[in-house]
Formats: sequence, structure tokens, C-alpha cells
Amino acid sequence: MSSVGTVITLVRYWIKGRFTRAAALAILLGEGFSIVAVLFVGSTFLSFANRFSLGSGISDAALSLILSLFLVGVVQSGFNGSGLPVSAADVDYVFTSPVKPREVFAAKILMNSFTTVLLSFPPVLALYVRFSFSYGTGFVSALLAGLVTLTFFAMALVLSADVTLSLGSRVSERLKPLRNVLIVAIVAISLIPITLLIPGMPPSVGDLVQVLPSGLAAAISTVLVSGQPWTMVSSIQLFLLLAWLVAFLSLGLRMSRNHFYEVLQVDEPGSSSDGLSGTTSAKLETEGRSVWSVVRGKEEVVMRRTKERRSLLISAIFLAGFMVIYSLSGIFQSSPTSFLLILFIIGSYGSGTASRWLEKERLWIIKTSAIDVRRYVKEVYRARLTPLLLILTPVALAVGIPLILSETGRPGSLLSVLLAIPGALEVASIMMGGGMYFAARYGQSTTDDILSTQAQDLTDIRKFLFQTAINFGLVSPLMGLVLGAGFLASPLFLWGPLLIAASLLYTLVVLNLLLNAAGDSIRRREDL
Amino acid sequence: MIRDLTKVYAKLVALDHVSLTVRSGEVVGLLGPNGAGKSTMMKIIVGILRPTSGTVSVSGYDIVQDPEKAKKVVGYVPENPTLYTGLTVKEFLSFVGKIRGVEDAQLASKIAESLKTFSLEEKEKALLGSLSKGMKQKVALIAATLHDPQVLVMDEPLTALDPKTQIFVNNWITSQGKKGTTVLLSTHNLDIVQDYATQIAIIDHGAIVATGGLQSLRELADAGKDARLEEVFLKLTSDSPGA
Repeated sequence: MSSVGTVITLVRYWIKGRFTRAAALAILLGEGFSIVAVLFVGSTFLSFANRFSLGSGISDAALSLILSLFLVGVVQSGFNGSGLPVSAADVDYVFTSPVKPREVFAAKILMNSFTTVLLSFPPVLALYVRFSFSYGTGFVSALLAGLVTLTFFAMALVLSADVTLSLGSRVSERLKPLRNVLIVAIVAISLIPITLLIPGMPPSVGDLVQVLPSGLAAAISTVLVSGQPWTMVSSIQLFLLLAWLVAFLSLGLRMSRNHFYEVLQVDEPGSSSDGLSGTTSAKLETEGRSVWSVVRGKEEVVMRRTKERRSLLISAIFLAGFMVIYSLSGIFQSSPTSFLLILFIIGSYGSGTASRWLEKERLWIIKTSAIDVRRYVKEVYRARLTPLLLILTPVALAVGIPLILSETGRPGSLLSVLLAIPGALEVASIMMGGGMYFAARYGQSTTDDILSTQAQDLTDIRKFLFQTAINFGLVSPLMGLVLGAGFLASPLFLWGPLLIAASLLYTLVVLNLLLNAAGDSIRRREDL
Repeated sequence: MIRDLTKVYAKLVALDHVSLTVRSGEVVGLLGPNGAGKSTMMKIIVGILRPTSGTVSVSGYDIVQDPEKAKKVVGYVPENPTLYTGLTVKEFLSFVGKIRGVEDAQLASKIAESLKTFSLEEKEKALLGSLSKGMKQKVALIAATLHDPQVLVMDEPLTALDPKTQIFVNNWITSQGKKGTTVLLSTHNLDIVQDYATQIAIIDHGAIVATGGLQSLRELADAGKDARLEEVFLKLTSDSPGA
């Protein structure tokens, strides 16, 4: 079989294996959420731009910044060995076959690009259509801008793969520090667009950004979407962007001539080494501690070792940044209902944290012991909630304090804001409790387990939707309370503590119910 | 042929100057305590890992210098095979057959024939993720032999199989040896090695501590002429905590 034939065969079967009916539906759902999210971000941004009478120039810088962050993320993943994601089945069957490493590289790049197109094109297109609508340009402009951004994504994926390959290429020990410096330099250069946010930066920095892939993609997309005239500079920018892509692709093809399989990070379902490093400073002490203290300690150690806390923190930093920008856009003044969205977005972190819970557990150990399962679930919940609240509290405060300061003259709005800050944390707590209940009731341990119940795939998606609806139902009284507080008259000092106490009481009651139900579900399950 | 093979992971020496010669058509039982280096050695032979130093040649092809040619003549059954769970049995075998270079004209009939041999005809359209462990193991065995390899490398192929499937797989391994395929079998099942292997290699702490037929190992271990392989193995690896 020719090299092209081999690459096509690999991609064809990988796609067949990955895109089951359940996966396709999950992608559709995910894209639905993404489209809603990007439309929301786009509208917020336009509101921000209009408020401060900024033209399309701001979107150029902002887009460049977003694309830079994406680039940094993928370069970092490349450095971790995840630039070319592989499964254990790839190792067992593809790497042991006579397929050449270069063909594997090409197929992986194609597969990654295909997945990226599938996952990112609809939301990116929706964003550009939203912008085009605002600027009065047509759908074709949005489509072309979307294709340019996709070219950038493909380039970033190839760069990430190149970084991974460079870890395994025959670089002598003497040159390895130099290679590492080069990778760090790529990350640092990619982050240059961030400096555009600093007031008074010299314009030459902006010019430098224009030759970086993220700056080029942003500039071309902005020209297309905003209806600015296409000039010779635009053509040169497009050429440069394609040149980056071709350069990184050529580099990757050259480096993949040799065996590179050992540097790849294998994505192994159910692997006990998920995210674990060889050494750890965290220790589980059991001597002299009560059983429940040990349960909480075990949970904390697991979260620390699987780097769950770190990823939670990184996500929270991004969330805080986004929320602060959102808050600065001043949309709260024009739309008090935006509070609800804030509450829900912060709260969704609780659900996300819970979803990782069952995977880390082997509940048969608990079920076969004499331990009280309800209490066990509550202690695990407590251990997982603490870091979540520690991380989300600064986020809520970062959004809330500027709002409190801006609303001091309006008691009704101020009361809403005051309730919204603890409210966000309560929503997160309830959504985490809800997530744990659903994980306890339906959650699977590994991808293999999930796939072994293929017949249930559609049911699983229905359960996910059901979970979202139930969670939404459970937190809606809190959101209603925040919204309703705006209509209450003074005095603030009376209503404030009373409503906060009521919301806390409601949260405690709901959590108790949810966690008891989670414990009962585990007791009843026979498939653990 | 393995010559002076060394594999070092950071500070851990997994294989330390290992040499082993296997003649065509031999069934070699590779024994060793957990963590002795068996899987590392097998992964180097099939081209997943690269040796730190030393050479491995399969049917005359060096796995580092000529990996594609070497891989063409090797079949591999991994320990705990991870299959593409989203593919059906037939799709998976077609995929493996294609990338291993089996001609289209032969592939369908080879798959059908193998599924029949392993009594999996009815599972042809079943998703791999829905199969039992024993069935998955059978699929992995089929996948390893679709291209009629000259050398079959099997890493713990009997793990967690029920007795009926174990007997089936034992017989199948024997039939491969009789067909002239060279078999390198890593296992903790000493009975199958004693009964079927023509050569036994014992590896411990990353080094081959003994190699040869059962009788020569008995002599080496200073065991009686009727001593079971289990006794010989324990004597030869007596300082290992995993033994």
C-alpha cells in the first residue's frame, strides 16, 4: 500500500472508531453549548466596543490575544508529550505494524485537523457571523474568516506535534537545553499580544504581533469580517500565515522520519497513572486519625496527585479574567438578568468537579466495607468542595467588588449583587452535589465501561440532559432570590442577612437530600 | 537474535546486556518475576520501544535499522490488549490487516476463516467494547496472525482467561509452533512452558539468568532430573522478592 493509502486507511478507521452515534450526539450537544457561549461572548464584546466607541481595531487585538492563548496552550501540551495524542490501541497495533513513523505523523495531523474542524468550525463561524451581522458584511466574509482561523488552528496543532517530536528527535544532550530555551521562547513570543492590553505600549509591539501566526490570523479575519478593504498587506499576511503552516508541517515531516513513539503520552482508558507523576510531596497519614478524616485526606491526596487542583485553578483564573472583562463591559447596568448567567457559569464548575469523582473511585471497596455509604459520600463531597470554594471565592469577589462599588447608590441592585456573591458559591455547591448524585447513580468508571454499554449511549445523553435540567431546577430558587431582591425596598441591613440566611438554609437542605440520594444510589448499584 | 540489549529508563536499568538467540520454529518460554524486564524486552522486539544499546534482529532484519521489514514478519499479542472499542470485530481486523499489508483479496477470507477458528463468527458485527475479556483476547490473537508472521511475540496471553479459553489458546499456540512460526511467549503459567516450550529463558533483574531446555535448566539449578519447572524457576530466581 502506498504512503497516501496507508494514511487514508489510518484516518478512516480512527474516525470510524471514534465517531459512534453517541459521540456524534455528544459533539452536536457540545457544539450547541459552544455556539451559545461564543454568541454570548461576541455580544458582550460588541457591547464593550460600542460602549467605549471602539471600532474593529479592538477585535483585532482581542482576537489576536485569544488565538495566542490557544497557541500557548497547545505548545505546552506539546511539551508534555500530548502534541500527537495516541491511544493504547495505537501503541499495540499501529506502532507494531510496518507503517512508517512519518505516515503515523501525517495521519495523526490529519485526524487532529479533522476533529478540530468538526469541533471548532461551527462555533467559530457562529462568532464571525455575529460580528458580520454587526458590521453589515455578508455570510461569505464570515465563512472566509472562519477558514483563516481554522488554518491557524491547524498550524497550532502541527506546531504542538513538532514540539512533541522534538522531545524524541536525536538531539544531543548538549543541545537539549538550547532546544528547551527555544520552546520557552516560542511560548513567550506567542504571549506578546497580551502586552497590547497594557496602556502606553509602543506601536512597534503591535507591528511585531502582526507577523506572529496569531496576529496574522486575527488581522486577516478582522479585515474580512469588518468589511475593511482587502489590500496588498492583507495578501502578504495571508501568505505569511500559510508559510508558517507549511514551515511547521515540513519540520514535522522531517522529524518524524525517525522512531518517535516513546515520547508520546498514551491516553489509556482507566489507566491508574492518569495524570500522575513519579514523585509526590502529598502524603496520606492514617495514624491516629478518624476514619472520616482519612476519607477526606485520601480524597485531597488523590486530587493533588492527579493535578485536579491545578487544572481547577488554571480554569478559575481564566474564568476570573473573563468575568472581570464581562463586568467591565458594563452590561450589568443595562441587564440585571446577566447575574443569572454569572451564577450559572460559576456554578457549572461545581458540576465539572463532580464529574471526575467516580472515575477516581473504585467504590466496590466502600460497598464491601462496613462503612456508612451516605456519610462516605458526604465526606468526599466535603473534601472536594473545600478547594472548589477556595478557588471560586476570589472569582466571585473579583466580579462582585467592582459591582458593589458601582451600585452603592441603588439599594435594590446592591442587594442583588450582595446576594449574588454567596449565591454563586451556593449554586456551585448544589451543582457539585447534583453532579455527584448523577455520578453515583449512573457514572461509569472508564471509557471501556461506557462503550461496553453502547446500547445505552442515547440513554446516557438523555441522562446528561436530565441532570442539567434537574440541576437548573434546584438552583433556580437561588437565582430567583437574586433577581427578586432587586425589587425589594430598603432597609438593606434587614433584608440582606435574612435572604442570605434563607439561601444558605435552602442550600444545606438540598445538599443533604442530594448526597443522601447519592449514597443510596451507590448502595443499590450492582455494577460497581 | 538479541545481542547485548540494554534499556535504561532515567535511572532504572530495565534490561542489562541481554543476549538471546532463538532459532526458526522454536517455541521459547520467557519466564521471570514481575518487573524482571520481560515486557520491556518484548516491546523492543516489536518496535514500540527503542533499545538504549544493543541490537535485535528478527528474521535477519534489525528492528532499529530496518523497522518496517522487521515488523512485517512479527505478530504481537500485548499484555491486556487495548482494542479500538468503537470498532466492530470485523472493522478492527480489516484495519489491522490493511496496515499490516495483507492483500485485499485475501483479507476478507482470512478474517472469516480466523473468526471461525476462534468461534467468533457471530460476533463479527459486535463492537469490541461490548466483548468479554476472553473474546477480546481471541480477537487480539487473530489480529496478531492475520499477516502470517514468521515470529509471534506474546506477552502474557493467558492472563485472566477462563480455563476453557486457556486450553484453547494453549492448543492454538502449539499449533503455531507446529506450523513453523517462531513463538516467544512470556507467561507466568509454568505448565504451558514446561509442556510446550522448546527453549526456556529465565529473566531476572533485567538480565537472562538461564536459558536452554528444561533438562539443562534442571542441571543449572541443581534440581533433580524429574524436578518441575516451578521448582527450577524458584531456585534460579531465589533472591527475587517477586518470585
